[in-house]
Amino acid sequence: MSENELVDTHLQELRRGTIVLACLQLLREAGYGYGLLEELGTLGFDTDANTLYPLLRRLEKQGYLTSEWNTEQARPRKFYRTSAAGIRLAETLTKEWLALTGAITSLTKEEH
Amino acid sequence: MNATLTQRYIDAVVRSLPPASRDDVQAELEVSIADAIEARTATGEAADVSEREVLTNLGDPGILAAGYADRPLHLVGPRFYLTWLRLLRLLWAIIPPVAMCGVALGKALSGAPIGDIFGSVISVGLAVVIHVAFWVTLVFVILERTGSASTIAEWSVDRLPEIRTRGAVRADMIAAIVLLAVGVVVLFWDRFRGLVIIDDRSLPVLNPELWPWWITGLLVLMVAKSALVIAVYFSGRWSAIFATANTALALVFATSAVGLLTVGQLLNPEFITIAFTNNGVNSDTTRILAVILGAGIIGFGVWDIIDGWLKTIRDNRR
Repeated sequence: MSENELVDTHLQELRRGTIVLACLQLLREAGYGYGLLEELGTLGFDTDANTLYPLLRRLEKQGYLTSEWNTEQARPRKFYRTSAAGIRLAETLTKEWLALTGAITSLTKEEH
Repeated sequence: MNATLTQRYIDAVVRSLPPASRDDVQAELEVSIADAIEARTATGEAADVSEREVLTNLGDPGILAAGYADRPLHLVGPRFYLTWLRLLRLLWAIIPPVAMCGVALGKALSGAPIGDIFGSVISVGLAVVIHVAFWVTLVFVILERTGSASTIAEWSVDRLPEIRTRGAVRADMIAAIVLLAVGVVVLFWDRFRGLVIIDDRSLPVLNPELWPWWITGLLVLMVAKSALVIAVYFSGRWSAIFATANTALALVFATSAVGLLTVGQLLNPEFITIAFTNNGVNSDTTRILAVILGAGIIGFGVWDIIDGWLKTIRDNRR
C-alpha cells in the first residue's frame, strides 16, 4: 500500500460517522436523497451515493429519521426529517465532537 | 423495446431485497438516479453518457442491495471467525483420522488387497476433510446472517489456556490416539485374520476364547486411556487426579493380562503348540518365555504409572 493510500484509509476512518451527524443536522429541515447528497457535497462532506441512500434507510429504521412521500411536485420524492430521537442523538454526537475537538486542540497546543 | 440501463440497474438492486421494502426502494432509487442524471445533462452532457456515469458511480448493485438489506458482504465475519476456526481445527483433528481408521479396519477385515486399503483410506480421508469444512462453514454462514452476538460465549480471562507444560503436549495426545487406533486394528486383525502365518496357516496370537468379553474390557481400557490423555491435553497439565486414574488403568491392565497369562488363558494354545512345542521348544522354555512376557507387561505398567506421577510432580512445580 502506497503512502497516499495509507493516508486515504486513515482519513476515511476519521470521517466515518461524521456523515450521520451531518445528515441528522441537515434533515431538521425535510430533505430528499439526491438533494441531500448535493448539499453534503457543497458543505464539504464528501459522500458516495451508495453509502448515503442505504444510510438514510438505516437511520429511519432505527427511529432517528421519519419519512414521507411528497407527491405534490412533478417527481414524487421521499422526504426524510430528523425525529425527536434523532435530534437527541445529534446533540449527543455534537457534544462528543466538540469534546474531541477540544482534546485534539490541546494536543497540538502542547507541541508549540 | 430493450430495458434501459437504469431499469436494469434498479432491477438488479431490488431483486434480492425483502418484498416489503422492494417497491419503496425502487421508487426512491428511480427518482434519485433521475435527479442525478438531470443534474449532469443540465451542464450539457449527453443523456446516455450521464446515465452511464451516474450508474458507474453508484457501483455494483449487489453492494447497494446489501447496504439496503443490512446484509454482510462476507461469509463469516470477525464475530464468529475465531470460533469457526477453532471448531474446524478440533473436528479436523478428530473426525478424519477416526474415519480413516474405520475404513482401514473394515477393508482389512473383508480381505481387501493392501493397495485397495490405501486408496480407500486416502479418498475417504479427503472426502471427510472436505465434508467437515463444508458443513461447519455452512452452519457459521447461517449464524452470521441470523444469530445474535450472544450466540457465542463471551470471552473472559477465565478462558485463558494454561501455559502448556511439557507433560501435556499435543504430541502425547496424538500418539495416544494413533496407538489406540493401531491397537484396535491389531486386535481385530488378530481375531479375524490371524497375526502370524506358520506353514501357510494364519493363526491368532491371542486366545480366541478371550472374545468377546475380555477383549471388550481391553477396548474399554484403551478408550479410557485415550480419554485420559485428551483430558490432560485440554486441561493443560497433569494433576493428582489424572495420575491416580492413570495408575488405576495401568493396574487393571497389568493384573488382568498377567492373571490370564498365569492360568494359560492369554495366548492362543494352538499358536503355542505350533510355534513352540512342535519346533522342539520344551515346556520349561515356554514357561521362561511366559515369565519374560509377564515381566514385560508388569514393567510396562510400572513405567506408565511412574511416568504419570513424574509429569504430575513436574507440572505442579511450575
